[in-house]
Amino acid sequence: MPIQVNELSKHFRLFKREAGLSGALRSFFNRKYENFHALDNLSLNIDNGEILGILGENGAGKTTLIKLLAGLLHPSSGSVDINGFTPWNRKPSFLKQISVVMGQKNQLWWDIPASESFLLNKKIYEIPEIHYKKTLDELIDLLSIKDKLNVQVRRLSLGERMKMEIIAALLHKPKIVFLDEPTIGLDVISQSKIRDFVKYYNEKYKTTFLLTSHYMHDIQALCRRVHVIHQGKSLYDGEFEDLVNRVNPKRKLIFEFSSAPSANEIETLSELYSFNIDETILRAELPDQELTQLVSKLFLLGTPASITLEDLPVEDTMRAFFTQPEKFLQ
Amino acid sequence: MKAWIEKYFAVVQMTWIQTLEYKANAIVGTFAIFSGLLIEFLIWRQVFQTQNITELRGFTFNGLMAYIFLCMIVGQLKSSWATSIEMIDSIRTGELNKYLIRPISFFTYHFMMFIGHNSLFYIVYISVLILFPIFLPGWAFHTMFHILGFAVALLISIYLSYAIYFCMVCFAFWFGEVRALVIAYNVSNIVLSGQIIPLRLFPEYVREIIYYTPLQFLVDFPVSIATGNLPMHLWLPKMGLAICWCIVVSVIGRIIYRSGIRVYGGFGA
Repeated sequence: MPIQVNELSKHFRLFKREAGLSGALRSFFNRKYENFHALDNLSLNIDNGEILGILGENGAGKTTLIKLLAGLLHPSSGSVDINGFTPWNRKPSFLKQISVVMGQKNQLWWDIPASESFLLNKKIYEIPEIHYKKTLDELIDLLSIKDKLNVQVRRLSLGERMKMEIIAALLHKPKIVFLDEPTIGLDVISQSKIRDFVKYYNEKYKTTFLLTSHYMHDIQALCRRVHVIHQGKSLYDGEFEDLVNRVNPKRKLIFEFSSAPSANEIETLSELYSFNIDETILRAELPDQELTQLVSKLFLLGTPASITLEDLPVEDTMRAFFTQPEKFLQ
Repeated sequence: MKAWIEKYFAVVQMTWIQTLEYKANAIVGTFAIFSGLLIEFLIWRQVFQTQNITELRGFTFNGLMAYIFLCMIVGQLKSSWATSIEMIDSIRTGELNKYLIRPISFFTYHFMMFIGHNSLFYIVYISVLILFPIFLPGWAFHTMFHILGFAVALLISIYLSYAIYFCMVCFAFWFGEVRALVIAYNVSNIVLSGQIIPLRLFPEYVREIIYYTPLQFLVDFPVSIATGNLPMHLWLPKMGLAICWCIVVSVIGRIIYRSGIRVYGGFGA
Protein backbone atom coordinates (compact mmCIF):
# COMPACT_ATOMS: atom_id res chain seq x y z
CA MET A 1 0.00 0.00 0.00
CA PRO A 2 1.92 3.16 -1.09
CA ILE A 3 -0.20 5.62 0.91
CA GLN A 4 -1.43 4.88 4.42
CA VAL A 5 -3.18 7.56 6.42
CA ASN A 6 -3.99 6.82 10.05
CA GLU A 7 -6.28 8.94 12.21
CA LEU A 8 -4.99 12.14 10.69
CA SER A 9 -6.15 15.40 12.25
CA LYS A 10 -5.30 18.99 11.50
CA HIS A 11 -6.56 21.87 13.59
CA PHE A 12 -6.02 25.53 12.79
CA ARG A 13 -6.23 28.46 15.14
CA LEU A 14 -8.18 31.04 13.21
CA PHE A 15 -8.39 34.70 14.04
CA LYS A 16 -11.95 36.05 14.02
CA ARG A 17 -13.21 39.59 14.10
CA GLU A 18 -16.36 41.54 13.40
CA ALA A 19 -16.67 43.49 10.18
CA GLY A 20 -15.96 47.22 9.94
CA LEU A 21 -13.54 49.68 11.46
CA SER A 22 -14.82 49.23 15.02
CA GLY A 23 -14.37 45.47 14.69
CA ALA A 24 -10.84 46.01 13.41
CA LEU A 25 -10.06 48.33 16.34
CA ARG A 26 -11.53 45.95 18.91
CA SER A 27 -9.60 43.03 17.49
CA PHE A 28 -6.39 45.08 17.52
CA PHE A 29 -6.56 45.26 21.31
CA ASN A 30 -8.42 42.05 22.01
CA ARG A 31 -7.84 39.43 19.36
CA LYS A 32 -10.18 36.44 19.39
CA TYR A 33 -9.21 33.06 18.07
CA GLU A 34 -11.19 29.99 17.27
CA ASN A 35 -10.06 26.42 16.77
CA PHE A 36 -11.01 25.06 13.38
CA HIS A 37 -10.91 21.31 12.81
CA ALA A 38 -9.97 21.07 9.17
CA LEU A 39 -9.44 17.30 9.40
CA ASP A 40 -10.62 15.03 12.14
CA ASN A 41 -9.31 11.48 12.61
CA LEU A 42 -9.20 10.63 8.95
CA SER A 43 -7.93 7.23 7.86
CA LEU A 44 -7.35 6.18 4.31
CA ASN A 45 -5.37 3.72 2.20
CA ILE A 46 -4.50 4.24 -1.43
CA ASP A 47 -3.24 1.57 -3.80
CA ASN A 48 -0.45 1.83 -6.31
CA GLY A 49 -1.65 3.16 -9.64
CA GLU A 50 -5.08 4.14 -8.31
CA ILE A 51 -6.87 7.39 -9.15
CA LEU A 52 -8.66 8.36 -5.97
CA GLY A 53 -11.19 11.17 -6.01
CA ILE A 54 -11.44 13.28 -2.88
CA LEU A 55 -14.91 14.76 -2.66
CA GLY A 56 -16.37 17.34 -0.35
CA GLU A 57 -17.87 20.77 -0.27
CA ASN A 58 -15.77 23.93 -0.02
CA GLY A 59 -13.97 23.91 3.33
CA ALA A 60 -14.56 20.19 3.87
CA GLY A 61 -10.83 19.52 4.25
CA LYS A 62 -9.89 18.17 0.80
CA THR A 63 -7.06 20.61 0.14
CA THR A 64 -5.82 20.27 3.73
CA LEU A 65 -5.58 16.51 3.19
CA ILE A 66 -3.62 16.99 -0.03
CA LYS A 67 -1.31 19.49 1.67
CA LEU A 68 -0.66 17.05 4.50
CA LEU A 69 0.04 14.19 2.12
CA ALA A 70 2.37 16.39 0.08
CA GLY A 71 4.23 17.39 3.24
CA LEU A 72 3.24 21.05 3.11
CA LEU A 73 1.63 20.94 6.54
CA HIS A 74 2.42 19.26 9.83
CA PRO A 75 -0.59 17.43 11.30
CA SER A 76 -2.03 18.05 14.75
CA SER A 77 -2.10 14.28 15.26
CA GLY A 78 -2.05 11.04 13.31
CA SER A 79 0.38 9.58 10.86
CA VAL A 80 0.96 9.22 7.14
CA ASP A 81 3.24 6.75 5.44
CA ILE A 82 3.97 7.23 1.75
CA ASN A 83 6.29 4.56 0.39
CA GLY A 84 8.04 4.51 3.77
CA PHE A 85 8.31 8.30 4.08
CA THR A 86 6.65 10.72 6.45
CA PRO A 87 5.67 13.54 4.08
CA TRP A 88 6.28 16.53 6.37
CA ASN A 89 9.91 15.53 6.90
CA ARG A 90 10.26 16.54 3.25
CA LYS A 91 13.22 14.33 2.48
CA PRO A 92 14.54 15.07 -1.04
CA SER A 93 14.10 11.40 -2.00
CA PHE A 94 10.42 11.67 -1.04
CA LEU A 95 9.91 14.97 -2.86
CA LYS A 96 11.34 13.42 -6.02
CA GLN A 97 8.56 10.81 -5.91
CA ILE A 98 5.64 13.20 -5.71
CA SER A 99 4.20 16.15 -7.54
CA VAL A 100 1.45 18.62 -6.77
CA VAL A 101 -0.65 20.55 -9.24
CA MET A 102 -2.92 23.18 -7.77
CA GLY A 103 -5.42 24.63 -10.19
CA GLN A 104 -5.38 28.00 -8.50
CA LYS A 105 -1.63 28.36 -8.05
CA ASN A 106 1.26 28.03 -10.41
CA GLN A 107 4.86 26.99 -10.01
CA LEU A 108 5.95 28.30 -13.41
CA TRP A 109 7.87 31.56 -13.66
CA TRP A 110 5.30 34.09 -14.77
CA ASP A 111 7.39 36.43 -16.92
CA ILE A 112 9.36 33.93 -18.98
CA PRO A 113 8.41 31.02 -21.24
CA ALA A 114 7.44 27.71 -19.62
CA SER A 115 10.32 25.99 -21.41
CA GLU A 116 12.71 27.84 -19.05
CA SER A 117 10.84 26.57 -15.99
CA PHE A 118 11.06 23.05 -17.39
CA LEU A 119 14.84 23.42 -17.66
CA LEU A 120 14.96 24.62 -14.07
CA ASN A 121 12.96 21.58 -12.94
CA LYS A 122 15.36 19.39 -14.90
CA LYS A 123 18.18 20.68 -12.71
CA ILE A 124 16.16 20.64 -9.49
CA TYR A 125 15.11 17.02 -9.94
CA GLU A 126 18.46 16.07 -11.49
CA ILE A 127 16.81 14.54 -14.56
CA PRO A 128 19.34 13.09 -17.04
CA GLU A 129 19.28 14.89 -20.40
CA ILE A 130 18.10 11.86 -22.36
CA HIS A 131 15.15 11.19 -20.01
CA TYR A 132 14.27 14.86 -19.86
CA LYS A 133 14.10 15.21 -23.61
CA LYS A 134 12.09 12.03 -24.06
CA THR A 135 9.59 12.86 -21.31
CA LEU A 136 9.20 16.46 -22.43
CA ASP A 137 8.60 15.48 -26.05
CA GLU A 138 6.01 12.92 -25.00
CA LEU A 139 4.14 15.31 -22.69
CA ILE A 140 4.18 18.13 -25.24
CA ASP A 141 2.83 15.76 -27.83
CA LEU A 142 0.10 14.35 -25.58
CA LEU A 143 -1.07 17.79 -24.51
CA SER A 144 -0.66 19.35 -27.98
CA ILE A 145 1.13 22.44 -26.68
CA LYS A 146 4.36 22.54 -28.70
CA ASP A 147 3.70 25.93 -30.31
CA LYS A 148 3.27 27.64 -26.93
CA LEU A 149 6.48 26.43 -25.32
CA ASN A 150 8.37 29.64 -25.95
CA VAL A 151 5.59 32.07 -25.09
CA GLN A 152 5.73 33.97 -21.78
CA VAL A 153 3.59 32.12 -19.22
CA ARG A 154 1.55 35.21 -18.43
CA ARG A 155 0.48 35.43 -22.07
CA LEU A 156 -0.95 31.90 -22.12
CA SER A 157 -4.63 31.07 -21.73
CA LEU A 158 -5.74 29.37 -18.52
CA GLY A 159 -6.00 26.00 -20.28
CA GLU A 160 -2.56 26.32 -21.84
CA ARG A 161 -1.10 27.35 -18.51
CA MET A 162 -2.60 24.32 -16.80
CA LYS A 163 -1.12 22.05 -19.46
CA MET A 164 2.30 23.63 -18.84
CA GLU A 165 1.84 23.18 -15.08
CA ILE A 166 1.09 19.52 -15.64
CA ILE A 167 4.18 19.09 -17.83
CA ALA A 168 6.34 20.79 -15.16
CA ALA A 169 4.85 18.47 -12.54
CA LEU A 170 5.45 15.28 -14.51
CA LEU A 171 8.92 15.85 -15.95
CA HIS A 172 10.58 13.91 -13.13
CA LYS A 173 8.13 11.01 -13.52
CA PRO A 174 6.64 11.12 -10.02
CA LYS A 175 5.04 8.00 -8.57
CA ILE A 176 2.28 9.99 -6.88
CA VAL A 177 0.57 13.09 -8.23
CA PHE A 178 -1.75 15.29 -6.23
CA LEU A 179 -4.18 17.19 -8.42
CA ASP A 180 -6.11 19.86 -6.59
CA GLU A 181 -8.87 21.27 -8.79
CA PRO A 182 -6.84 20.89 -11.99
CA THR A 183 -9.75 21.86 -14.26
CA ILE A 184 -11.04 24.83 -12.30
CA GLY A 185 -12.03 27.69 -14.57
CA LEU A 186 -11.30 25.76 -17.77
CA ASP A 187 -13.72 25.49 -20.67
CA VAL A 188 -15.31 22.09 -21.34
CA ILE A 189 -12.89 21.19 -24.14
CA SER A 190 -9.83 21.93 -22.01
CA GLN A 191 -11.39 20.06 -19.09
CA SER A 192 -11.94 17.06 -21.28
CA LYS A 193 -8.37 17.18 -22.63
CA ILE A 194 -6.90 17.27 -19.14
CA ARG A 195 -9.14 14.35 -18.10
CA ASP A 196 -8.14 12.29 -21.13
CA PHE A 197 -4.51 13.03 -20.46
CA VAL A 198 -4.67 11.99 -16.78
CA LYS A 199 -6.48 8.80 -17.70
CA TYR A 200 -3.94 7.93 -20.39
CA TYR A 201 -0.97 8.78 -18.20
CA ASN A 202 -2.30 6.74 -15.28
CA GLU A 203 -2.91 3.71 -17.49
CA LYS A 204 0.48 3.94 -19.16
CA TYR A 205 2.71 4.66 -16.17
CA LYS A 206 0.56 3.33 -13.28
CA THR A 207 1.08 6.64 -11.52
CA THR A 208 -1.07 7.11 -8.43
CA PHE A 209 -3.30 10.17 -8.64
CA LEU A 210 -5.20 11.91 -5.88
CA LEU A 211 -7.74 14.22 -7.39
CA THR A 212 -10.00 16.84 -5.92
CA SER A 213 -12.49 18.55 -8.19
CA HIS A 214 -15.82 20.27 -7.97
CA TYR A 215 -16.59 19.08 -11.48
CA MET A 216 -18.26 15.72 -11.04
CA HIS A 217 -17.50 14.88 -14.66
CA ASP A 218 -13.80 14.83 -13.71
CA ILE A 219 -14.50 12.39 -10.91
CA GLN A 220 -16.90 10.31 -12.97
CA ALA A 221 -14.46 10.01 -15.86
CA LEU A 222 -11.35 9.29 -13.81
CA CYS A 223 -12.10 7.81 -10.41
CA ARG A 224 -13.60 4.45 -9.71
CA ARG A 225 -13.14 5.02 -6.02
CA VAL A 226 -13.84 8.19 -4.07
CA HIS A 227 -13.27 9.33 -0.52
CA VAL A 228 -15.86 11.79 0.73
CA ILE A 229 -14.93 14.28 3.43
CA HIS A 230 -17.55 16.28 5.26
CA GLN A 231 -16.61 18.87 7.87
CA GLY A 232 -13.18 17.32 8.18
CA LYS A 233 -14.48 13.82 8.78
CA SER A 234 -14.36 10.83 6.53
CA LEU A 235 -17.91 10.13 5.37
CA TYR A 236 -17.66 7.59 2.58
CA ASP A 237 -14.97 5.49 0.98
CA GLY A 238 -15.92 3.31 -1.94
CA GLU A 239 -16.94 3.17 -5.56
CA PHE A 240 -18.24 6.41 -7.01
CA GLU A 241 -20.97 4.58 -8.92
CA ASP A 242 -22.29 3.00 -5.71
CA LEU A 243 -22.43 6.41 -4.08
CA VAL A 244 -24.33 7.89 -7.02
CA ASN A 245 -26.76 4.97 -7.02
CA ARG A 246 -27.25 5.30 -3.31
CA VAL A 247 -28.14 8.97 -3.65
CA ASN A 248 -30.18 8.71 -6.79
CA PRO A 249 -30.78 5.21 -8.08
CA LYS A 250 -33.04 6.50 -10.84
CA ARG A 251 -32.29 6.60 -14.57
CA LYS A 252 -34.06 8.47 -17.27
CA LEU A 253 -35.98 6.74 -20.10
CA ILE A 254 -37.27 8.32 -23.30
CA PHE A 255 -39.34 5.78 -25.24
CA GLU A 256 -40.69 6.92 -28.58
CA PHE A 257 -43.45 4.77 -30.12
CA SER A 258 -43.69 4.52 -33.88
CA SER A 259 -47.47 5.07 -33.52
CA ALA A 260 -49.49 6.29 -30.52
CA PRO A 261 -50.35 3.40 -28.13
CA SER A 262 -53.91 2.84 -26.90
CA ALA A 263 -55.02 5.14 -24.10
CA ASN A 264 -56.43 2.24 -22.02
CA GLU A 265 -53.20 0.32 -21.93
CA ILE A 266 -51.26 3.43 -21.02
CA GLU A 267 -53.68 4.12 -18.18
CA THR A 268 -53.21 0.60 -16.82
CA LEU A 269 -49.44 1.04 -16.91
CA SER A 270 -49.61 4.42 -15.24
CA GLU A 271 -51.16 2.76 -12.18
CA LEU A 272 -47.96 0.70 -11.81
CA TYR A 273 -45.26 3.15 -12.90
CA SER A 274 -44.74 6.87 -12.79
CA PHE A 275 -44.18 8.48 -16.20
CA ASN A 276 -45.34 11.22 -18.58
CA ILE A 277 -46.54 10.67 -22.10
CA ASP A 278 -46.92 13.21 -24.85
CA GLU A 279 -48.60 11.51 -27.87
CA THR A 280 -45.86 9.08 -28.93
CA ILE A 281 -43.07 10.04 -26.49
CA LEU A 282 -42.99 8.53 -23.02
CA ARG A 283 -40.61 9.88 -20.37
CA ALA A 284 -39.84 8.21 -17.03
CA GLU A 285 -37.32 8.53 -14.20
CA LEU A 286 -37.22 5.26 -12.26
CA PRO A 287 -34.82 2.96 -10.43
CA ASP A 288 -33.09 0.40 -12.66
CA GLN A 289 -35.26 -2.59 -11.80
CA GLU A 290 -38.57 -0.78 -12.37
CA LEU A 291 -37.21 0.75 -15.53
CA THR A 292 -36.35 -2.68 -16.96
CA GLN A 293 -39.85 -3.93 -16.17
CA LEU A 294 -41.44 -0.86 -17.73
CA VAL A 295 -39.39 -1.17 -20.92
CA SER A 296 -40.37 -4.82 -21.36
CA LYS A 297 -44.02 -3.86 -20.97
CA LEU A 298 -43.72 -0.95 -23.38
CA PHE A 299 -42.41 -3.31 -26.04
CA LEU A 300 -45.71 -5.19 -25.78
CA LEU A 301 -47.65 -1.97 -26.48
CA GLY A 302 -45.97 -1.15 -29.75
CA THR A 303 -42.80 -0.97 -31.77
CA PRO A 304 -40.40 1.73 -30.58
CA ALA A 305 -39.09 4.33 -33.02
CA SER A 306 -36.26 5.07 -30.57
CA ILE A 307 -35.23 4.32 -26.99
CA THR A 308 -32.91 6.53 -24.93
CA LEU A 309 -31.66 5.53 -21.51
CA GLU A 310 -29.70 8.11 -19.55
CA ASP A 311 -28.12 8.45 -16.15
CA LEU A 312 -29.42 11.48 -14.29
CA PRO A 313 -26.91 14.36 -14.26
CA VAL A 314 -24.24 13.42 -11.76
CA GLU A 315 -23.77 17.06 -10.77
CA ASP A 316 -27.42 17.21 -9.59
CA THR A 317 -27.06 13.92 -7.77
CA MET A 318 -23.99 15.03 -5.88
CA ARG A 319 -25.55 18.40 -5.08
CA ALA A 320 -28.43 16.51 -3.46
CA PHE A 321 -25.91 14.37 -1.61
CA PHE A 322 -23.95 17.26 -0.16
CA THR A 323 -27.13 18.97 1.01
CA GLN A 324 -27.82 16.08 3.39
CA PRO A 325 -24.96 13.61 3.21
CA GLU A 326 -25.89 11.73 6.39
CA LYS A 327 -29.31 10.90 4.94
CA PHE A 328 -27.81 8.85 2.12
CA LEU A 329 -25.15 7.09 4.12
CA GLN A 330 -27.19 5.61 6.95
CA MET B 1 28.01 18.76 -4.95
CA LYS B 2 28.08 19.21 -8.74
CA ALA B 3 24.31 18.59 -8.89
CA TRP B 4 23.79 21.07 -6.02
CA ILE B 5 25.79 23.76 -7.83
CA GLU B 6 24.00 23.08 -11.13
CA LYS B 7 20.61 23.21 -9.40
CA TYR B 8 21.14 26.58 -7.81
CA PHE B 9 23.10 28.05 -10.68
CA ALA B 10 20.02 27.26 -12.79
CA VAL B 11 18.05 29.53 -10.42
CA VAL B 12 20.57 32.33 -11.00
CA GLN B 13 20.25 31.80 -14.75
CA MET B 14 16.46 32.00 -14.51
CA THR B 15 16.68 35.39 -12.81
CA TRP B 16 19.04 36.61 -15.53
CA ILE B 17 16.56 35.55 -18.17
CA GLN B 18 13.76 37.22 -16.23
CA THR B 19 15.75 40.43 -15.78
CA LEU B 20 16.55 40.59 -19.48
CA GLU B 21 12.82 40.34 -20.30
CA TYR B 22 12.38 43.82 -18.84
CA LYS B 23 15.29 45.84 -20.22
CA ALA B 24 14.13 49.33 -19.21
CA ASN B 25 13.56 48.33 -15.58
CA ALA B 26 17.00 46.70 -15.39
CA ILE B 27 18.79 49.75 -16.79
CA VAL B 28 16.97 52.29 -14.63
CA GLY B 29 17.50 50.15 -11.50
CA THR B 30 21.21 49.81 -12.18
CA PHE B 31 21.88 53.50 -12.54
CA ALA B 32 19.49 54.67 -9.79
CA ILE B 33 22.37 54.55 -7.32
CA PHE B 34 24.09 57.47 -9.04
CA SER B 35 21.24 59.83 -8.10
CA GLY B 36 21.91 58.96 -4.44
CA LEU B 37 25.58 59.70 -4.90
CA LEU B 38 24.79 63.10 -6.38
CA ILE B 39 22.62 63.99 -3.35
CA GLU B 40 25.40 62.90 -0.96
CA PHE B 41 27.92 64.91 -2.98
CA LEU B 42 25.81 68.09 -2.74
CA ILE B 43 25.11 67.67 1.00
CA TRP B 44 28.75 67.05 1.98
CA ARG B 45 30.06 69.81 -0.27
CA GLN B 46 27.67 72.17 1.53
CA VAL B 47 28.93 70.91 4.91
CA PHE B 48 32.58 71.38 3.97
CA GLN B 49 31.96 74.84 2.46
CA THR B 50 29.74 76.29 5.21
CA GLN B 51 31.96 74.92 7.99
CA ASN B 52 34.99 76.06 6.03
CA ILE B 53 36.86 72.84 6.79
CA THR B 54 39.22 70.71 4.72
CA GLU B 55 39.02 67.63 6.90
CA LEU B 56 36.34 65.89 8.94
CA ARG B 57 37.52 63.29 11.47
CA GLY B 58 40.35 62.29 9.17
CA PHE B 59 38.31 62.46 5.96
CA THR B 60 39.18 64.97 3.26
CA PHE B 61 36.30 65.84 0.94
CA ASN B 62 37.61 63.54 -1.81
CA GLY B 63 38.33 60.79 0.69
CA LEU B 64 34.84 61.08 2.09
CA MET B 65 33.31 60.96 -1.38
CA ALA B 66 35.33 57.88 -2.25
CA TYR B 67 34.25 56.27 1.01
CA ILE B 68 30.57 57.15 0.51
CA PHE B 69 30.59 56.03 -3.09
CA LEU B 70 31.98 52.64 -2.07
CA CYS B 71 29.46 52.46 0.80
CA MET B 72 26.61 53.03 -1.60
CA ILE B 73 27.85 50.33 -3.95
CA VAL B 74 28.35 47.83 -1.13
CA GLY B 75 25.00 48.82 0.38
CA GLN B 76 23.30 48.18 -2.92
CA LEU B 77 25.05 44.87 -3.51
CA LYS B 78 24.22 43.42 -0.11
CA SER B 79 20.70 44.77 0.23
CA SER B 80 18.20 41.92 -0.03
CA TRP B 81 15.21 43.70 1.43
CA ALA B 82 13.23 43.39 -1.82
CA THR B 83 13.87 39.64 -1.84
CA SER B 84 12.80 39.52 1.81
CA ILE B 85 9.51 41.21 1.00
CA GLU B 86 8.90 38.61 -1.73
CA MET B 87 9.66 35.83 0.74
CA ILE B 88 7.28 37.26 3.33
CA ASP B 89 4.56 37.45 0.70
CA SER B 90 5.16 33.88 -0.33
CA ILE B 91 4.70 32.71 3.27
CA ARG B 92 1.62 34.89 3.76
CA THR B 93 -0.08 33.93 0.50
CA GLY B 94 0.86 30.26 0.41
CA GLU B 95 3.24 30.68 -2.55
CA LEU B 96 5.80 28.98 -0.33
CA ASN B 97 4.09 25.70 -1.25
CA LYS B 98 5.78 25.65 -4.62
CA TYR B 99 9.19 25.60 -2.92
CA LEU B 100 8.22 23.08 -0.26
CA ILE B 101 6.97 20.47 -2.74
CA ARG B 102 10.28 20.40 -4.59
CA PRO B 103 13.68 19.17 -3.41
CA ILE B 104 15.05 22.68 -2.94
CA SER B 105 15.87 24.90 0.00
CA PHE B 106 13.71 28.00 0.38
CA PHE B 107 16.71 29.83 1.89
CA THR B 108 19.20 28.92 -0.84
CA TYR B 109 16.72 29.25 -3.71
CA HIS B 110 15.92 32.84 -2.76
CA PHE B 111 19.54 33.62 -2.02
CA MET B 112 20.39 32.56 -5.56
CA MET B 113 17.47 34.58 -6.92
CA PHE B 114 18.84 37.56 -5.03
CA ILE B 115 22.32 36.99 -6.46
CA GLY B 116 20.81 36.59 -9.92
CA HIS B 117 18.74 39.77 -9.71
CA ASN B 118 21.79 41.68 -8.48
CA SER B 119 24.13 40.28 -11.12
CA LEU B 120 23.64 43.23 -13.43
CA PHE B 121 24.60 45.51 -10.53
CA TYR B 122 27.71 43.40 -9.93
CA ILE B 123 28.81 43.78 -13.54
CA VAL B 124 28.16 47.54 -13.69
CA TYR B 125 29.63 48.31 -10.28
CA ILE B 126 32.70 46.16 -10.77
CA SER B 127 33.32 48.13 -13.98
CA VAL B 128 32.93 51.31 -11.93
CA LEU B 129 35.31 49.99 -9.28
CA ILE B 130 37.91 49.21 -11.93
CA LEU B 131 37.72 52.87 -13.00
CA PHE B 132 37.87 54.00 -9.36
CA PRO B 133 41.68 54.27 -9.05
CA ILE B 134 41.73 56.28 -12.29
CA PHE B 135 39.16 58.91 -11.27
CA LEU B 136 39.88 59.02 -7.53
CA PRO B 137 43.54 57.91 -7.42
CA GLY B 138 44.98 57.07 -4.05
CA TRP B 139 41.66 56.89 -2.24
CA ALA B 140 41.00 53.17 -2.48
CA PHE B 141 42.41 49.81 -3.64
CA HIS B 142 46.02 50.72 -2.97
CA THR B 143 47.28 47.17 -3.53
CA MET B 144 46.04 43.85 -4.88
CA PHE B 145 45.59 42.75 -1.23
CA HIS B 146 43.09 45.54 -0.76
CA ILE B 147 41.12 44.36 -3.78
CA LEU B 148 41.18 40.76 -2.57
CA GLY B 149 40.32 41.71 1.03
CA PHE B 150 37.48 43.89 -0.20
CA ALA B 151 36.10 41.05 -2.36
CA VAL B 152 36.11 38.56 0.54
CA ALA B 153 34.58 41.08 2.96
CA LEU B 154 31.93 41.93 0.36
CA LEU B 155 30.95 38.27 -0.04
CA ILE B 156 30.67 37.94 3.74
CA SER B 157 28.58 41.11 3.85
CA ILE B 158 26.19 39.86 1.14
CA TYR B 159 25.63 36.53 2.89
CA LEU B 160 25.37 38.00 6.38
CA SER B 161 22.89 40.64 5.28
CA TYR B 162 20.70 38.02 3.58
CA ALA B 163 20.85 35.71 6.61
CA ILE B 164 19.75 38.54 8.94
CA TYR B 165 16.82 39.38 6.66
CA PHE B 166 15.91 35.69 6.51
CA CYS B 167 15.53 35.54 10.31
CA MET B 168 13.03 38.38 10.11
CA VAL B 169 11.21 36.84 7.16
CA CYS B 170 10.57 33.68 9.18
CA PHE B 171 8.45 35.59 11.68
CA ALA B 172 5.83 35.71 8.92
CA PHE B 173 4.99 32.11 9.86
CA TRP B 174 3.46 33.42 13.09
CA PHE B 175 2.45 36.99 12.32
CA GLY B 176 1.64 36.77 8.60
CA GLU B 177 2.66 40.31 7.81
CA VAL B 178 6.11 41.39 8.95
CA ARG B 179 7.04 43.81 6.19
CA ALA B 180 7.07 46.64 8.72
CA LEU B 181 9.77 44.80 10.67
CA VAL B 182 11.91 44.37 7.55
CA ILE B 183 11.44 47.97 6.47
CA ALA B 184 12.22 49.28 9.97
CA TYR B 185 15.35 47.14 10.08
CA ASN B 186 16.29 48.26 6.58
CA VAL B 187 16.09 51.93 7.51
CA SER B 188 18.11 51.50 10.69
CA ASN B 189 20.60 49.21 8.95
CA ILE B 190 21.21 51.78 6.19
CA VAL B 191 22.24 54.27 8.86
CA LEU B 192 23.89 52.02 11.44
CA SER B 193 25.95 49.99 8.98
CA GLY B 194 27.61 53.18 7.74
CA GLN B 195 25.97 53.18 4.34
CA ILE B 196 25.08 56.88 4.37
CA ILE B 197 27.37 58.34 7.03
CA PRO B 198 30.73 56.68 7.78
CA LEU B 199 30.80 54.94 11.17
CA ARG B 200 33.86 57.00 12.03
CA LEU B 201 31.66 60.10 12.14
CA PHE B 202 29.31 58.52 14.72
CA PRO B 203 29.61 59.36 18.44
CA GLU B 204 32.01 57.04 20.27
CA TYR B 205 29.34 55.29 22.39
CA VAL B 206 27.16 54.54 19.34
CA ARG B 207 30.15 53.05 17.54
CA GLU B 208 30.91 50.91 20.62
CA ILE B 209 27.40 49.49 20.51
CA ILE B 210 27.54 48.88 16.75
CA TYR B 211 30.80 46.98 17.16
CA TYR B 212 28.94 44.44 19.32
CA THR B 213 26.53 43.71 16.44
CA PRO B 214 26.98 42.20 12.96
CA LEU B 215 26.01 45.58 11.40
CA GLN B 216 29.64 46.73 11.26
CA PHE B 217 30.37 43.94 8.75
CA LEU B 218 27.66 44.91 6.31
CA VAL B 219 29.16 48.08 4.80
CA ASP B 220 31.83 49.68 6.95
CA PHE B 221 34.08 46.60 7.08
CA PRO B 222 34.52 45.99 3.32
CA VAL B 223 34.77 49.72 2.60
CA SER B 224 37.33 50.27 5.38
CA ILE B 225 39.46 47.50 3.85
CA ALA B 226 39.17 49.01 0.36
CA THR B 227 40.02 52.53 1.49
CA GLY B 228 42.84 51.42 3.78
CA ASN B 229 41.10 52.78 6.89
CA LEU B 230 41.37 49.39 8.59
CA PRO B 231 44.97 48.30 9.33
CA MET B 232 45.89 45.08 7.57
CA HIS B 233 46.71 43.17 10.76
CA LEU B 234 43.05 43.53 11.84
CA TRP B 235 41.62 42.04 8.65
CA LEU B 236 41.86 38.37 9.57
CA PRO B 237 40.55 38.66 13.17
CA LYS B 238 37.67 40.79 11.89
CA MET B 239 36.93 38.35 9.10
CA GLY B 240 36.91 35.51 11.63
CA LEU B 241 34.43 37.42 13.75
CA ALA B 242 32.29 38.17 10.68
CA ILE B 243 32.24 34.47 9.74
CA CYS B 244 31.23 33.63 13.32
CA TRP B 245 28.34 36.07 12.94
CA CYS B 246 27.39 34.36 9.65
CA ILE B 247 27.26 30.99 11.41
CA VAL B 248 25.31 32.31 14.41
CA VAL B 249 22.75 34.14 12.27
CA SER B 250 22.37 31.14 9.92
CA VAL B 251 21.74 28.79 12.87
CA ILE B 252 19.20 31.21 14.36
CA GLY B 253 17.47 31.50 10.98
CA ARG B 254 17.34 27.73 10.62
CA ILE B 255 15.85 27.29 14.09
CA ILE B 256 13.19 29.94 13.46
CA TYR B 257 12.41 28.50 10.00
CA ARG B 258 12.06 24.95 11.34
CA SER B 259 9.71 26.11 14.10
CA GLY B 260 7.80 28.28 11.66
CA ILE B 261 7.26 25.56 9.11
CA ARG B 262 5.53 23.49 11.80
CA VAL B 263 2.87 26.16 12.25
CA TYR B 264 2.67 27.07 8.55
CA GLY B 265 -0.93 26.96 7.34
CA GLY B 266 -0.31 27.10 3.60
CA PHE B 267 -3.37 29.33 3.28
CA GLY B 268 -4.42 30.86 0.00
CA ALA B 269 -3.18 27.95 -2.05
